[in-house]
Amino acid sequence: MDWLFFGEISLAGLAMGGLYALIGLGFVIIYKATRVINFAIGEIMMFAAYLFLAFAGGMEMSPWVALPLAVLGGSLLGGVIEKVMIRPMLGESSISVVMVTIGIASILVGVVEMIWGADPQLLPDFLPRKPVFIGEMYLAPKIAYGFLIGAAMLIIYLLYFRFSRGGVALRATASDQAAAYSMGINVRRVFNLAWVFGSLAASLAGVLVAATGGLSPQFGAIGLSVLVVVIVGGLDSIVGALVAGVFIGWLETVAGAYLGGEYRMPATFAVLAVILVFRPYGLFGTHDIERV
Amino acid sequence: MFKSILNKSRRLVGIGSMAAALAAAAPVMAQDKEPIVFGGSIPLSGVFAFAGVHLHAGLTDYTTWVNSEGGINGHPVKYVMEDTGYEVDRSVAAFKKITGSNKVPVYYGDSTGFMKTIASELNSRGTTLMSGASFATALTDNEQYPYQFIPGPNYSQMFGIILEYIATQGKDGDMPTVAFVYSDTEFGKDPVENGKAKAAEMGIKVVEEIVTKPGSVDVSAEILKLRRVRPDFVVFHGYVLSPINEFMVQMRQMGLDTQFMGTFWSSDKLIINKMGADADGYMGVMPYNYYDSAESGPMLDALRATAEKSDPDAGYRPTGYMQGWFNAMVWTEVVKRTMDAGKELTAENMAESLASIENWDTGGIIGIPVTVKDMSFPVGRIWRVNAKEARYEPVSDWIHLD
Repeated sequence: MDWLFFGEISLAGLAMGGLYALIGLGFVIIYKATRVINFAIGEIMMFAAYLFLAFAGGMEMSPWVALPLAVLGGSLLGGVIEKVMIRPMLGESSISVVMVTIGIASILVGVVEMIWGADPQLLPDFLPRKPVFIGEMYLAPKIAYGFLIGAAMLIIYLLYFRFSRGGVALRATASDQAAAYSMGINVRRVFNLAWVFGSLAASLAGVLVAATGGLSPQFGAIGLSVLVVVIVGGLDSIVGALVAGVFIGWLETVAGAYLGGEYRMPATFAVLAVILVFRPYGLFGTHDIERV
Repeated sequence: MFKSILNKSRRLVGIGSMAAALAAAAPVMAQDKEPIVFGGSIPLSGVFAFAGVHLHAGLTDYTTWVNSEGGINGHPVKYVMEDTGYEVDRSVAAFKKITGSNKVPVYYGDSTGFMKTIASELNSRGTTLMSGASFATALTDNEQYPYQFIPGPNYSQMFGIILEYIATQGKDGDMPTVAFVYSDTEFGKDPVENGKAKAAEMGIKVVEEIVTKPGSVDVSAEILKLRRVRPDFVVFHGYVLSPINEFMVQMRQMGLDTQFMGTFWSSDKLIINKMGADADGYMGVMPYNYYDSAESGPMLDALRATAEKSDPDAGYRPTGYMQGWFNAMVWTEVVKRTMDAGKELTAENMAESLASIENWDTGGIIGIPVTVKDMSFPVGRIWRVNAKEARYEPVSDWIHLD
């Protein structure tokens, strides 16, 4: 066995997994606080990536100005979606809310096609192009630097949720909405905050993934691939999203390298099937017990 | 951004005015004879819209041009289409609607999936000859798809043309090595088996085969595999843009001197516009002359003049435009040959007319006279990107496969 090759493949997979973890985090934050599975997360990623393209490409801003602007734009979009389209659905069945998020996804694709057209796009280069070597192992620079930016964002999130007032309010609402409400936490504001933070994580991941794999109005499909990550990790578990994201990224890449690209998805879905059989609530998800 | 929307709106208004003017002029232009309808399931929206809008423009402009030349044997041509969103069920619905309300001798199919799905109905109706956006090898099976043709070489023939070129690039009697990189789709897999057989026959070694997941994905692991086998050529198929750029940039970063080639849909100017200097040296197989090539000819000049007139702001017209125009050109030739032979416009008669095309001068759209073989035009040329000039330049003669 060529261990150097295995090491290089694994590094690439782990780095891509870091970005999956970031997208997974976007899913989980929203689900944990509001119990809404956001099927529009891929399209929010796509929208942020197009914003980056508009700022850095069309308006020729510095990419390092365009990046935060695009990410903020994506998170703002998340906040507006919650306020205008999700909040009125409070109390409705979860299927209805899911259908609303699917509808939002279609609207975003239409808006993007209207503004930027249907042509595939490449984002302006903003990450260093010099190859990265860890020992003898080569790592593509976009993946390496994308991973570092994503990891920095993950650490900021974890610190925020652990120590800030907003983070505590979010966790309290996620644990018990009624108790959080009775303790004076503005639950509606927390819902909105969850959409803003969830969309922010997804938006950053969107720009980083699009910088590697290109951008088109169909980019949002990646959101569904990451659904595997959050189901494996547990829909309401931040740790689960991180662990499963990194693992699924690694598995997908190793399966693709050794078995062929056509085995990437079957490999991850095989893991999903096994997890669903033995732990239907995911590796780290909460096992809800319904008392009758 | 808003300027771009405004420009698009102005352009649409311009096109609208032109359509209105044409409609007003129609009674003057129209002959007494029954119009010949060009039908089309056109992907103006959806995943293939990037090409669909140009295919549509090519078909529209050709119709305008042919009518200005007196139509086909005095019959005016009417182009009737529906947007399909590149969805097979919508394409089928569009076909039924258009053929239900018109007599449609020729029809544009927007995808291989649609063309395969509609084949049995097409065969049983026997009224319509079909071609379209697809270059699928399967559609050149005359037994199964007797009334469908490919407006150029099929994907296997494109691989054949590419391999013919590669074979000429060997040094010191050694054949170059090649790797195939394709998407995990029906489109991507189409020419691979035939390509491997052809390579083996020619003594070209296929040192690696990479299949990539469709969509926006990281391909650095796949590139690491290529680094180990160091192919002289990488041939892409099943892509429009990404991940071709990543393969090229990363492999060059690794110091490999591999050359990169692609088939029809991955050989448009989009590659140059989006990749910039990184696209330099990329090569594609193309059956038609590029819109901005130095080549000329009566039909190519007419195409350019019509394109310029229909939308003066559009500038360069992509290969989809050329493909749409060429499709309609072939339909015209087939309908004309069938009429001239005094035969009815049935699918069978038109398929016979198509098969009779030999050494046909396309007026510069294709640089050499072409002959139909197995319901396709097995001809093409290798073009290389000159990034500084932002255009493709020919690096081979026209290659007509036997």
